[in-house]
Amino acid sequence: MFSWLEKNPFFFAVGVFVVIAFAGLIEIVPDFAQQSRPVVGAKPYSLLELAGRQVYIKDSCNACHSQLIRPFKSETDRYGMYSLNGEYAYDRPFLWGSKRTGPDLHRVGNYRTSDWHANHMWEPTSVVPGSIMPAYKHMFKNVADLETAYAEALTVKKVFNVPYDKDLNGDGKVDVPLGSFEQAKQRALQYALKVAEETKRQDLVDMVKQGKVPEIVALIAYLNRLK
Amino acid sequence: MNWLSDNVNRLALLGAAAILILTIGVVAKYFKQIKEGKSEGVLKEENWDGIGEYKNNSPIGWSLAFIGTIIWGVWYWLVGYPLNAYSQIGEYNEEVKAYQAKFESKWANPSKEDLLGMGEGVFLVQCSPCHGIDGTGIEGKAQDLTHRLLKKEVLDVIHRGSAALGNPNGQLGYPLGMMPPGLLSGADAEAVASYVAGGFKGSGKGADLFQNTCASCHGPDGRGMNGMAPNLREYDDTIVQHVLDHGKHGIIGRMPSFKGRLTPVQEKAVAVYIRSLSEGE
Repeated sequence: MFSWLEKNPFFFAVGVFVVIAFAGLIEIVPDFAQQSRPVVGAKPYSLLELAGRQVYIKDSCNACHSQLIRPFKSETDRYGMYSLNGEYAYDRPFLWGSKRTGPDLHRVGNYRTSDWHANHMWEPTSVVPGSIMPAYKHMFKNVADLETAYAEALTVKKVFNVPYDKDLNGDGKVDVPLGSFEQAKQRALQYALKVAEETKRQDLVDMVKQGKVPEIVALIAYLNRLK
Repeated sequence: MNWLSDNVNRLALLGAAAILILTIGVVAKYFKQIKEGKSEGVLKEENWDGIGEYKNNSPIGWSLAFIGTIIWGVWYWLVGYPLNAYSQIGEYNEEVKAYQAKFESKWANPSKEDLLGMGEGVFLVQCSPCHGIDGTGIEGKAQDLTHRLLKKEVLDVIHRGSAALGNPNGQLGYPLGMMPPGLLSGADAEAVASYVAGGFKGSGKGADLFQNTCASCHGPDGRGMNGMAPNLREYDDTIVQHVLDHGKHGIIGRMPSFKGRLTPVQEKAVAVYIRSLSEGE
């Protein structure tokens, strides 16, 4: 029965590979496919949040802050529920980070507020004495790049079928609207105005009213969204 | 030969001798077999270019291991992997459960010092980023926990009612429910606010207005009638617990809810610690 295989080393090698890999494949592939699905309630980032995410990447926040809460009691006590795979379904790329010089930020939206972030990013030691985090004052002047954020959102919508402009939870309403750039920008400006008012800084509110979103406002919108 | 008096040394020497003798015996046996042994037995039918193979029964140990592996494989397939497999989350759940049980039994009847120490620990980790390490609210960025109320806070609540606290139901979850807006206005509101923020001292217009307007819910002494309405004189256990559970959105800003993040004992400990902050006055 096997004499044919014994005379054909290539097919013999293929057969050996399938037999050895089989157990691994049936244990890993189905689990992986299921775990990588978005968790119930996961939503794609809105335009402003995506712009904030780009600021987060640009200023290398992930070099010092992780976004992954491991299932250890010491971590869940401090940061909240441990992270699930499906929560990162719309993160491209994910920002798990590999070093915690600062605390984990995966659920920072649950326990910090917009005005706290603004104070902290302006002068970290004003709210956390002894903090070694540098100040990020340039974020209060620089304008966030909504065009690139829109390009990213539109790309993932078209290429990866990320559910923008869709009803996700079945309540008949669109959960994360995107639409045309003009529509998306108007929505982002309204959202930014709300965040800017929460920071209680008039200069940020004025900038948003002039149609410019400061980087810090986009970043805070993104951080508040991390829950 | 002092070292031979030790049992372990003697045992080791005996073992070494046994290994030496066995090795010599086995080696000698195989030498003899190589010199004198002849192959014998029944050849199998297969023949590869003149090279044949004897019919041999498989060794008993090998056969038992083979059958045992099949049985283990069936068990692992049906029970071991699906039901008994290691799970990181499972280990986490057990760890948390064991810790909670230990925590609850250890702190079933905590003393005031225990609560104070625990409260300080929780406060420094969870509360101090906004309220400051000393609890004074970092120059108005959050509630100053060394004082109960500021005049502007009292005025804001009188003006807007408990909806000013910004919770979904416009209140912190007290049995007496919402406080209506605009119970007092103008100079009357100012007088009551000064009286409440000033620590309920003195008598006069503020004190009289408080007794007439506010005392029916907050109690004649302003202590909230044992948790029926917010205590206006100190951070009692009830108000700390309600604010931690519901969060708050007052005139200073928004405090997020900490529901489910602290155990009831820890919430109580935080209240004890917060009260200790204003004790020096």
